[in-house]
Amino acid sequence: MKMFQTVGRMPIGLTVPAFTILFVVFGIPIILLFFTSVNAPAFSLANYQAFFSHPANVRVLLQTIEISIVATGICVIIGYPTAYLIVAAPKHLRVALVVLVIIPYLTSALARTYAWIVILGDRGLINHMLLDLGLISSPLPLIYNRTAVYIGMVHIMLPMMILPLVSVMMGIDKSLMAAARSMGARPLTAFWRVFFQLSMPGVRSGAVLVFVLCLGFYITPAALGGLPDAMLSTFIASQVSTSFNIARIAASAFVLLAVAVIMLSMFGLDLSHRQGSAGQPARKPWLSRRSPFGALKRWVNELLTPIRAKRWIDQLYRAGGDSHWPKIVGTVFVLLVMFYLLFPGLVVVIMSFSAGTFLEFPPSGLSLQWYRSFFGDPSWRDAAWTSIQIAVAVAILSTIVGTLAAYGLTRTTFPRLRGFLTMLILTPITFPVIVVGIATYLGLVKLGLLGSNTGIVLGHSIGAIGYVVVIVSATLANFDRRLEDAAKSMRAGPFQTFRRVTLPLVRPGIIGGAVFAFLHSFDEVVITSLIGGLSIRTLPLKMWENIRHQIDPTIAAVATLLMLLPVLWLMVLYVTWWRSKLREQPALLNSAI
Amino acid sequence: MNYWINRRRFLQATSSALTVGALSSVASQASAQSSGELTVMVGGGDYGKANIKAYVEPFEAETGIRVNPITDDMSLAQLELMVTTNNVSVDVVTMGNGTASPAHKKGLLEQIDYSIYKKEELDGIVDFGKEPFGVAFVMYSVNMVYNTDKFPSGKPRPNTWAEFWDVNRFPGVRALQSGIYGNEGPWEEALLADGVSADALYPMDIDRIFVSLDKIKPHVRKWWTSGSEIQQMMHDKAADLLQSYDGRAVLLVDQGAPIEISRSQPKVTWDYRVIPKGAPNAQNAQKFIEFSTRADRQATFVQIFPIGPTNLNAHNLIPEEVGRKLASHPDYLRNSIRVNGNWYSDVGADGLSNAERLTQRWNEWILL
Repeated sequence: MKMFQTVGRMPIGLTVPAFTILFVVFGIPIILLFFTSVNAPAFSLANYQAFFSHPANVRVLLQTIEISIVATGICVIIGYPTAYLIVAAPKHLRVALVVLVIIPYLTSALARTYAWIVILGDRGLINHMLLDLGLISSPLPLIYNRTAVYIGMVHIMLPMMILPLVSVMMGIDKSLMAAARSMGARPLTAFWRVFFQLSMPGVRSGAVLVFVLCLGFYITPAALGGLPDAMLSTFIASQVSTSFNIARIAASAFVLLAVAVIMLSMFGLDLSHRQGSAGQPARKPWLSRRSPFGALKRWVNELLTPIRAKRWIDQLYRAGGDSHWPKIVGTVFVLLVMFYLLFPGLVVVIMSFSAGTFLEFPPSGLSLQWYRSFFGDPSWRDAAWTSIQIAVAVAILSTIVGTLAAYGLTRTTFPRLRGFLTMLILTPITFPVIVVGIATYLGLVKLGLLGSNTGIVLGHSIGAIGYVVVIVSATLANFDRRLEDAAKSMRAGPFQTFRRVTLPLVRPGIIGGAVFAFLHSFDEVVITSLIGGLSIRTLPLKMWENIRHQIDPTIAAVATLLMLLPVLWLMVLYVTWWRSKLREQPALLNSAI
Repeated sequence: MNYWINRRRFLQATSSALTVGALSSVASQASAQSSGELTVMVGGGDYGKANIKAYVEPFEAETGIRVNPITDDMSLAQLELMVTTNNVSVDVVTMGNGTASPAHKKGLLEQIDYSIYKKEELDGIVDFGKEPFGVAFVMYSVNMVYNTDKFPSGKPRPNTWAEFWDVNRFPGVRALQSGIYGNEGPWEEALLADGVSADALYPMDIDRIFVSLDKIKPHVRKWWTSGSEIQQMMHDKAADLLQSYDGRAVLLVDQGAPIEISRSQPKVTWDYRVIPKGAPNAQNAQKFIEFSTRADRQATFVQIFPIGPTNLNAHNLIPEEVGRKLASHPDYLRNSIRVNGNWYSDVGADGLSNAERLTQRWNEWILL
């Protein structure tokens, strides 16, 4: 009990487990890598000078930033309305939509990239259709350009944007909007001044995640982009495979990290920045304050306010809505987004039933042979089982540790420290993954955990913790701390308060974090191939070992089975609901998401 | 901290490699005697399965040594991390022409013991495949491939790289290998297209390479980075005229794809079997490598997985129609240019290898 009280006073202490793992597995070797990059003990900036002396490096660095910013922007523009509409949907539909959003993430990177080639290629689905319809006479260049890179990147990153948004929006009290409307706010004003402001933590954490992950992209730009669409990670990967000069590679990686730090501090890294709760002065739109029309506008506005309030009340009591349009537009929008997210997956599913030995679309014939080759081969089954075990362990470890850290960071009263520590936690997902792999390898060598399951779990967790912290922090940002005070005033202990008040309220964020932690581990191949020590074969490793020598539809079959997992989970969930509904216990409904 | 001290000491030691080499081989001999075991990286997919069938299983039967085949490849980064942290858990590794040589120059590989080879086997192995740090055991080539619908027989077909570059005489969609990795790329082809004769390619003139590439740049639809990518492009008929690994194209030709492989100016390259420095069973590894370069073993292997043998006597043991599909066929080998891995790993005064220099030039060139 005493411990909890101490912890209550020093919330930063909650971040200790996260930082211990991070430091031991990743931090020490990264610091040593930094020393290598400055040629310690001689200390020179030669490697950094070498980096910046090549105009190509500077240009590709700027290009990396540009691509990441644009991709993040597109994700916000598409992701925000999608998340809003998902949250507004009826409960059952909402859960289904969230699960569907995650599905693209479960398709293997290679199958997914190939699906885009099938769709966008010169002889792909779209060009084929347009040629058949006689709309074009020669194929449109839909692929091997920047647009195709964005299409591919946004497709993978959109779940990263939508999930934090959904978890934050779920926590926003809808009656606040009604209150605003009842006081005469226009619908848009009510949305902008109330809902949007409250959803900002979700936008911020989603954007940070997407941006940071985009910085490290290289497979998608290489496969879908044209010759000039390179990113810094492409350059780093080629350095690693041809020369493996650690000092130079480390220098490039630290440049990328510096960019991330600078960009994020400009953008506002303080993920748990709180809105309004401390009586923050209401922000007035600067336009109305400055323009000469402002005063007039405000005066008219004020005059109309009571009228609007009255109309809102009238509307409330009128049977049926007067306009279906917003609903139709919203539905169409969600359908379009879902089509974009799921269509490549559908292509993969169809290819998995191919009778040929190539990935092809449409398949020349149908057969189940690639499923037989998966289930008939014990090495595939073992790899799948290993991956599931590791991913579950990673999800549990990083959700606990990450939630504690997010809690500690949110409650810290020093914003600067908070920003700094958040950046530290994000380092493993900001760094080019190959450099993280090298650092983790060196860290695990020292712990003697190379080639062990524990080692892989730790290696995956350093990244997974980042996801959890970002998503949970966003949920905690809107959390009304007075609820905790209320509980405490009724003599609940800190632990009880956390369990009975805090935890249930931030549950959407925790579930979202856990899902991403699981997926991060389940999908990881670069770090695993370095630290697996040749003895542990995970599913992604097994997929890559095949792909290097041949592409057969087995990977499509594996991807299809992976997509089936969340769908099955969804079905189980629905059955549970249906049964609990029979027993008329609506309270149970709240337990899911 | 351990790693860095080791690494620095290690780098210093490469100059006096003898001492380190002697120490580690004493250690490995000791452990080799204590256990009849061997760990071999055999590669994934059908290639890995063929390795197990043609090499691993017969080797176990002949020597009684228990082999643990790992169906994966190893990168230069993995090898260097393993060796420099004293965590070598593998005895035999496959490395490409472009990475084995730099690995050797970094002191990561054991010396091959050629004294255990029979004379007729040793004579059968191609000269360029017998290096002090490794023995080549498969050979393949990078060829020009064209679509036979676009270039039907009876009409002129492109056969030389100069003709590939000639977009007026041979119009069509083109694809070339990306040069991002430096140690392989369209370098030799660009020089051949520019009129350099095959025997005067090395040392390559990097400026001239890029002048030549400038001419073809606007006509190339895709610069591919992996064998699976080019295989897809050929399968989807996404280009009329491409540069491809011969094996990927043969696979499609066998399935009836409308493509043909030009064998007039192939670029031959090969993979070595090497032993990481400090391998626990180095002695057994030497035996395994010797075993896998025998003509009869290679003849078995290439009939399961179509790829050229390095022991040319293997061609006497396989049917001619199989041999005709392989880059090592004497008819093709005569016209081939051979990738000079040592040139790629040669380090200049600025501390950069030629491969790194090519990568840097490439990176500048693509962003222009």
